Amino acid sequence: MSTPPLSVNNIFQGYTPPEGVYDEFLLDSGQPRPQSKQFLDTVVKIGREEFEHRWQQAQRTVQANDFAYSGVITPKNQPRPWELDAIPFLISSAEWKTVSKALKQRAHLLNLILKDLYGKQTLLKQGDLPAELVYSHPGFLRGYHRDQLRNDCFLHFYAADLARSPNGNWWVLADRTEAASGIGFALENRILTSRMFPELFHQCNVERLAPFFIAAQESLRKLAPQSLENPRVVLLSHGPTSPNYFEDAYLARYLGYTLVEGGDLAVRKNQVMLKTLGGLIPVDVIFRRQNSRDCDSLELNASSRIGVSGLTQAARSGQVGIANALGSGLVESAAFMAFMPRLCKSLLGTELLMPGVASWWCGVPDQLNYVLKNLEKLTIYPTFRIRGRDNPSVESLNQMSPKKLAELIRSKPSDFAAQEKVIRSSMPVWRGQIQPAHLSLRAYAVISGDSYTVMQGALARTSPNLDPLEVSIRKGEGSKDAWILSDQPVEHVTLLKEQGRTISLKRSGSELPSRAADNIFWLGRQLERAEALARLLRSAVNRLSGETRSTSDLEVPVLLRCLADQGQIEPGYAIDKMRHQLPAIEHVLPTAVFDKSQSTSLRSIVDELFRLGSIVRDRISLDTWRIIRRIDKGFQPPRYGTTNLSDVLTITDDLITELAAFSGIVMESMTRTQAFRFLELGRRVERSLQIISLVKNSFVPMPEVPSPIFETVLEVADSLMTYRSRYLSNLQLGAVLDLVLTDETNPRSLVFQFMQLAKHVERLPRNRELPGYTSEQRLVMTLLHSVRMLDIQETAETHCLGDYEPLEKLIETWDYQLPKLSEAISHRYLVHAVPSHQLSDISPQ
Amino acid sequence: MKYKITHTTKYAYSQAVPVCHNLVHLAPRVLPGQRCKEFQLLVHPEPFSIAHRKDYFGNDVSYFTIDQAHLGLSVTATSQVEVTAASQIAAAETPPWESVVQQLQEKHTAGVLDAYQFTFDSPGVKLFPELIEYAKVSFQENRPILEAVLELTTRINTEFKYDSRATNVNTEISEVFEKKHGVCQDFAHFQIGCLRALGLAARYVSGYLRTNPPPGKPRLVGADASHAWLSVYCGEKAGWIDVDPTNNVQTSVDHITVAWGRDYYDVCPIQGTIVGGGEHRMTVSVDVAPEEPQPAAPATGDAK
Repeated sequence: MSTPPLSVNNIFQGYTPPEGVYDEFLLDSGQPRPQSKQFLDTVVKIGREEFEHRWQQAQRTVQANDFAYSGVITPKNQPRPWELDAIPFLISSAEWKTVSKALKQRAHLLNLILKDLYGKQTLLKQGDLPAELVYSHPGFLRGYHRDQLRNDCFLHFYAADLARSPNGNWWVLADRTEAASGIGFALENRILTSRMFPELFHQCNVERLAPFFIAAQESLRKLAPQSLENPRVVLLSHGPTSPNYFEDAYLARYLGYTLVEGGDLAVRKNQVMLKTLGGLIPVDVIFRRQNSRDCDSLELNASSRIGVSGLTQAARSGQVGIANALGSGLVESAAFMAFMPRLCKSLLGTELLMPGVASWWCGVPDQLNYVLKNLEKLTIYPTFRIRGRDNPSVESLNQMSPKKLAELIRSKPSDFAAQEKVIRSSMPVWRGQIQPAHLSLRAYAVISGDSYTVMQGALARTSPNLDPLEVSIRKGEGSKDAWILSDQPVEHVTLLKEQGRTISLKRSGSELPSRAADNIFWLGRQLERAEALARLLRSAVNRLSGETRSTSDLEVPVLLRCLADQGQIEPGYAIDKMRHQLPAIEHVLPTAVFDKSQSTSLRSIVDELFRLGSIVRDRISLDTWRIIRRIDKGFQPPRYGTTNLSDVLTITDDLITELAAFSGIVMESMTRTQAFRFLELGRRVERSLQIISLVKNSFVPMPEVPSPIFETVLEVADSLMTYRSRYLSNLQLGAVLDLVLTDETNPRSLVFQFMQLAKHVERLPRNRELPGYTSEQRLVMTLLHSVRMLDIQETAETHCLGDYEPLEKLIETWDYQLPKLSEAISHRYLVHAVPSHQLSDISPQ
Repeated sequence: MKYKITHTTKYAYSQAVPVCHNLVHLAPRVLPGQRCKEFQLLVHPEPFSIAHRKDYFGNDVSYFTIDQAHLGLSVTATSQVEVTAASQIAAAETPPWESVVQQLQEKHTAGVLDAYQFTFDSPGVKLFPELIEYAKVSFQENRPILEAVLELTTRINTEFKYDSRATNVNTEISEVFEKKHGVCQDFAHFQIGCLRALGLAARYVSGYLRTNPPPGKPRLVGADASHAWLSVYCGEKAGWIDVDPTNNVQTSVDHITVAWGRDYYDVCPIQGTIVGGGEHRMTVSVDVAPEEPQPAAPATGDAK
């Protein structure tokens, strides 16, 4: 066999960089740049087919690991902000050293500027920076200003957007100082890309990202008050509605920190506390990913619903370390760029090592004139940037006609800044074929000691046009891994603590935040509800179609009653007389299952399951999450044609299997922490309710139960096999009720659920020195006792004789007490995460 | 003039509040013409600790938290303050207002820079184009700044109707302007807006006003509330001058300054967040009692 000619197999075939730009891969001669040579050779050797195969594999990993989702699912299926591209950006470590040096200088400088502005404000007094830029900046937190600054650092994490101009030099496009977004994406890109080219990754001596994260951990550790050896660090996220939530969760998991939202924290006696099941536990360091202004609803922003009252005071009193310090976002506004050269000279006495893109602030008359005369060459920005909230957006500004834009700027010049449009360098991207795209890099630095450590890697971003970056991010343009290529083999580093120091063993789990426990509890309930419904539906559909049709007249009404009881179908279907006036159930059922407008439909339950799963993603294993993703993806009506009964059959079968896989993983792999306990509590409460509903709707209204109904009940209760093995086909009420209610060996029986509940309630954290039992203990003991004390044969016989009362009474009691138990648990453990609100302000009169 | 001031704020909740965090601006400032001999802050239930500090504008601010369940909160601030009348500069001798604007923009000395920060929009004073028009009626070319300010004060006082039910703490000045009514806070915010629109520096002052009772009747205790006015920067020589649009006066010994800031939100007397609490009710009483027999000055106070 002969190898196909190189040109067909070479994915780079036909790559032509745009005119007049610096190309990152090719020299002007068309030959590869030295650092790209090995990469190109190997990719060509791999061949197009293999390359495409690996790329598809990587794409699948993205899907399976939910890298594709940006935040929580609202709006659903939103693509991640930066879609990954297969071809990494390559740069030699010698060149990166120069870049790093400049970034270190800039981070240091920005830190000094922040220190000055939140302190003595010498820069304003000397006129190095127009005071207006600070005084009218909404991000200038006056409450955080002080004459004597306790800590020396405002800027622990710094990110810079860089671009390379046609002459090959790097420029700073923007500074990001509030909270460096994208670190998580850089990490994720690395994991995916290195998996795609494992051999290349090693051959090319790619510098690792781990040292950066180790430095980050170390810096955060050192921020702890009283220099604790092992401080509790939390990662404070803006929460599931934020586009950064995904990477927050990802980073928290990678760095081993608890992911929290404002609602999980409280301040007591100036100490920041984490609200957990076991009570409040102190927090020493906050890795802040949320905007400063949203951090404290008392001092910083009264309208913030996610702030922690008293956080500023806690920070002020030095009881908690926060990175970045509150207020650090002040200097990331575009207008500051215009003053950086001067500030550098004034504070460091030297020139900037890497120039910033030429910038103007319209608040200065001659700068305004320049901007108005050169509008078409410039990108206009609002002067003040609040991370994540552009108002007006850069996009809308730059789409205005020059005349209108000029008018707008003239109406309040100080509100606008401008930047020269930069011709960014180009690079190949793979979109089924090779194409050129413009590149920018987001590089990261973290404080370590007196200096900064720059990440040996970056988030490379590409866009086909030269729109401002903010615009292209929104349009979902590409991102790439960035490989810094060393001349020597690279050392392997791990994030695990250094060897030699023995850590004390733990079995902890009480640190579960109450909010997370609440979500996990409900996840358990929804999982069980989904399963019970799927079983009911499957049984109903089986009987509505196919060969079991003959006996279906007897069983179908029972199943319809159960389904109506669960809100799956209209209540009218449960009533024999009304059923005939309603549309045929065969037609209604398939649509009802997927009806998202009904909050009780199985599809809505799957949605809720997915939502809860994604919120507690940092508490469940990747495999477990994958199953939830699969359930969500798989549970869809057929794409073409109308949905019929057999579709429902297939889909409920699949759902039941997936749910069984979920249970299997939970039982076999989840450590028995409080998270497990709450998942179990939720499931057991729900399964008990389902069993009760089944028994109620099947037996209570009728004395003589025909045997097909017994079978149906046993089938829905997943106990048919057991019954047959014990009693063959001799179906009697007593034996059926025993198996479904009182058999302690049947994991599907009611008593089994109560036993599990009792076990888990017993192990919940509580003050064990207090005498007596808690209300949830008492409730669960009552429930368990009531089933255990039951003579089921006698109840069954009485029932068959026409006296329904005993069974009815029992069901009534359980129906009443189970929700009480659920409530008691939430009251004690879950709802002390109530939100705070403002005292109405006093108006002077 | 010596005063004994008692300012009590009480909150009552329908459900127990387990935790509250509070930030209060209640201590009178110490100023060239104002001495604060004694200040006490009494909080019930007793907070774990009270932290005092100076805020960004140099006001005293106290921070406390209560973390035992409580159904009510009472905050009482008492102080003894002595106010001496400053020698008032003749309005005609103040510099033309344009020169003050220019000075603010060009000089970077600590004093001017400090004033400069009060020339910008702030959360409670959002500027809009009509402000300039309204202000320019009084701010004619080269007019001495204080003359213009006093005329503006008089115009607001006569053209706007005092109505304590018309607005709330969050009313924007554009609405105040449109409806021409409000309370002292609204008038102060509005006049600040006019002055800032011209490029002048104006700050919001919160404090108390002594009430002069009608002859022969005892002083009404607890009928008063906290008051608000504004201060205008009149150049390096004349400095800051306070005017009260609610009463159409330049302040003297009847006004006791507690705190100043860009607007109400910087100096809100009591700010707080609570957890739970259900419904809550609030009552305020302020008592500003002169410590010596009153001079028979004509009544100018309008502290409703």
